[in-house]
Amino acid sequence: MVVGVVLLTIVGFSTYGYLFSAPTKPADANPEFIGQAQEFSYLVTDDLAFWVNKVVELTGEVSEITDDGILINGTIYCQFDDQTILKTITKNQRLTIKGKMVGFDELLMEIKLSQCIIP
Amino acid sequence: MALRIIFIVFALLSLPANGQKYFTRSGITEFEASEKAFEPIEAINESTTAIMDLSSGIIVSQVFMAGFQFKNALMQEHFNENYMESNQYPKATFKGKLDNFSLDDLKSNEPIPLSGMLTIKGVEKKIQTTVSITQDQSGLSLTGMFAVNPEDFNIKIPVIVQEKIADMVHINLNYQLVEKK
Repeated sequence: MVVGVVLLTIVGFSTYGYLFSAPTKPADANPEFIGQAQEFSYLVTDDLAFWVNKVVELTGEVSEITDDGILINGTIYCQFDDQTILKTITKNQRLTIKGKMVGFDELLMEIKLSQCIIP
Repeated sequence: MALRIIFIVFALLSLPANGQKYFTRSGITEFEASEKAFEPIEAINESTTAIMDLSSGIIVSQVFMAGFQFKNALMQEHFNENYMESNQYPKATFKGKLDNFSLDDLKSNEPIPLSGMLTIKGVEKKIQTTVSITQDQSGLSLTGMFAVNPEDFNIKIPVIVQEKIADMVHINLNYQLVEKK
């Protein structure tokens, strides 16, 4: 009887947790790729669909700093949720970032990462 | 599809050199399809790319499905896998033009008519709406709202959840555009 109630509670809570949990933040996810930004660009050219929605950790040179993100190697745009971090970044610095790849932007010819952090 | 986008890019690039372009990489596109008394169905995308050519009033934009953030993980999964099939159709695009646009329109607060083609899941549909555009030192601010019917874009909603999802999906736009140098 008691075991039944305990089991039911556990199942109940885990179902509830599954149904109503918030999406995993890219910051907490294991990256699918860790390495040079340049190499990642080649991989994306090769198989774009595979990389969409994947969390990656890239190292490259900061070529531009904007209001809400940075451009790495001139071709990878990384958007930050916490924009105060941007003040600590300087142009031309080598940097490693972690974020979720959302797609290839054909209007600006850039790979786009969102919810980026500096790991 | 890819060819069409390349064509649009070239069309934009080949505009007169004096045509000032404004753009953003982080435009906000929100949608809402909630029915009263049920769990809210809404998501926000803060990485919409939009480009506007000031002289012609041409606007192109693109939004990645993977960039939509839901409060609920399961809802986000269903959105990508069942409804939008975002592996196959990773983005939605819009290409349109402000009707009879002139720079004076930026000074008045009147809504400006915008018409163009919206492509979702590879299906094109004509959209006619109005947007507000205001100008300040930092650039242009474009806001607007319109509604679409998921059925028009081959988005099938299972009977079992039909009453929880609104027939019309409301889409809100808020793009802060800066000059493209």
